[in-house]
Amino acid sequence: MSRLVHRSLGEGGIRRLLIANRGEISVRIMRACRELGIETVAVYSDADAEASHVRAADRAVHLGAAPARDSYLDGSKVIAAALSAGADAIHPGYGFLSERAHFAKACEEAGLVFVGPPASSLERMGSKIGARRLMVEAGVPVVPGETPADQSDGSLAAAIARVGFPALIKPSAGGGGIGMKVVRTAADVGEALAAARREATASFGDGTLYVERLIERPRHVEIQVFADAHGNVVHLFERECSAQRRHQKMVEESPCPALSPAVRQAMGQAAVAAARAVDYRNAGTCEFLLEGEGEAARFYFLEMNTRLQVEHPVTECVVGVDLVHAQLAVAGGAALPFTQDSLSQRGHAIECRIYAEDPAQGFIPQAGRLLLYREPQGPGIRVDSGVTAGTMVSVYYDPMLAKLIVWGETREVARLRALAALRDFAVLGIHTNIPFLLQLLEHEQFIAATIDTGFLDREGAALAAASVTELPAAALAAVAEYRRTAQHSGTPGTLGTDPFLTLGVWRV
Amino acid sequence: MSEPVVTPLGEGWYLVDDGERRWRVAVAGAGDTQWVFVNGQVATVETPTPGRRRRKGGDGGVMSPMPATVVAIRVAPGQAVAAGDTLIVLEAMKMELPIRAPRDGVVKTVACAKGDLVPPGVNLLEFE
Repeated sequence: MSRLVHRSLGEGGIRRLLIANRGEISVRIMRACRELGIETVAVYSDADAEASHVRAADRAVHLGAAPARDSYLDGSKVIAAALSAGADAIHPGYGFLSERAHFAKACEEAGLVFVGPPASSLERMGSKIGARRLMVEAGVPVVPGETPADQSDGSLAAAIARVGFPALIKPSAGGGGIGMKVVRTAADVGEALAAARREATASFGDGTLYVERLIERPRHVEIQVFADAHGNVVHLFERECSAQRRHQKMVEESPCPALSPAVRQAMGQAAVAAARAVDYRNAGTCEFLLEGEGEAARFYFLEMNTRLQVEHPVTECVVGVDLVHAQLAVAGGAALPFTQDSLSQRGHAIECRIYAEDPAQGFIPQAGRLLLYREPQGPGIRVDSGVTAGTMVSVYYDPMLAKLIVWGETREVARLRALAALRDFAVLGIHTNIPFLLQLLEHEQFIAATIDTGFLDREGAALAAASVTELPAAALAAVAEYRRTAQHSGTPGTLGTDPFLTLGVWRV
Repeated sequence: MSEPVVTPLGEGWYLVDDGERRWRVAVAGAGDTQWVFVNGQVATVETPTPGRRRRKGGDGGVMSPMPATVVAIRVAPGQAVAAGDTLIVLEAMKMELPIRAPRDGVVKTVACAKGDLVPPGVNLLEFE
């Protein structure tokens, strides 16, 4: 019976929101709720009973065991938690259940508002092949490619000529780079087709081949879009996310230095067209590959992320909006709080993701207790985090601890601010990628803004090696003082005098 | 250079004046291992305890480098393996981590089971 009350949010909008997530994004959404007078419900697994997002919430519901499939990925448990806590809406955050159409549908059926797009939009964008066809129909550029019905060498060679050189041949059934061949001239085609067909048949039992234009050294540029239930669709400009390691983004910024105003406008319009093509609602992101730069740059639709993105704060900083506020308003039935004409970019923002991983050891994930944790502060510095001193970083979830977002009036001001903030970001107890980020932000290619999506995979090892630096002797003096105070150590006073002190792990 | 002057600032933070300039340093950690932070750089400093050596990944077995969940065991006792063969697959932080044979040999015992949460530095499998 109370479900009926929940369904008709009406004048007041969302009153009590369950956040079906953990970590920094949960804390960030709860902050927006507190500002808007919306009550918050956290969910947690066995591993997260003491976590920051649970402490930040007005109510908290235990879901189950630590593995995500028993807790944060169990949609029926999440919906039961929302109903038992009297929530009228669910925000899925990113990851976990955020892009699962059946979960969005289950929320709707339970009388809960899903803070995100309708299940039908999720379904249409969830299929890569279907989404590509929809985009072509909507006039959004995609990477030229095709799977010829006639799989003879002659027909495939003709298809390669149509998509243009350099081209990529890959198994239709494929994945993981197996059987992928690059062809740069017509003379290479015959041999490459034979090899690709052999490998495709051996690995997937299916020799069907797909050919597409190879976009060399592309940038990853994405456009934030936002739509409401009243027919309004806007874009909030771009984010440049080319600094990624094995498809995991590490640094994002806005604006993208490679975009001319005309290309930026064309991309924005394409993203709006993409959103309209799937009757999109709420916040979403269209990912594009960008080839070249300036007026000559060309862009190709990759996929649409039907959720709030990790890197949404760079847009918030540069455009001056609160995307989570807007998500909650739109989900509650209100019109978008901004129009396209009212939106513009000002200054430059850079986000650095702080990961619990050790760049000096091949980026191996780290787990353990945060013995000391202090975030940087100051003008133009924002930290979104889901940890505090004492937090146990577990092996069960994403290794991202926090995001440092800085804003400056120019890219260089923002870069210098990010460097200073990283040098002031203290995390002890586990290794993080902060020393690596310091190297990356000082790399000449980052300074020149010429990083492509392959940069970190090519240069990452060299940057990681360079991030291992000597600490000043002053650091040792502080350790000696720390040890001298007896409660910390069973062997007080040994550092200055013990000739057997090893600095074997004295590194990074 | 003169002896550095260390002023505790509380909560693990110290101001160190080395005679030339001042550094803000953070220290944490109990026992023989301390973590130290200065200017975005982090290191651990260890004092060896006489008569006790840390166990390293020795010849007789393989171990996990970090806390992880065992998702697959690919070998059985008595099985001969070649260097580089995947013995056990662990998962931590959404990443799969294959544990490979460090050398040719014969598996003597498997000391973990699928689904186990294993700590770092403990033998998962022993060779004959």
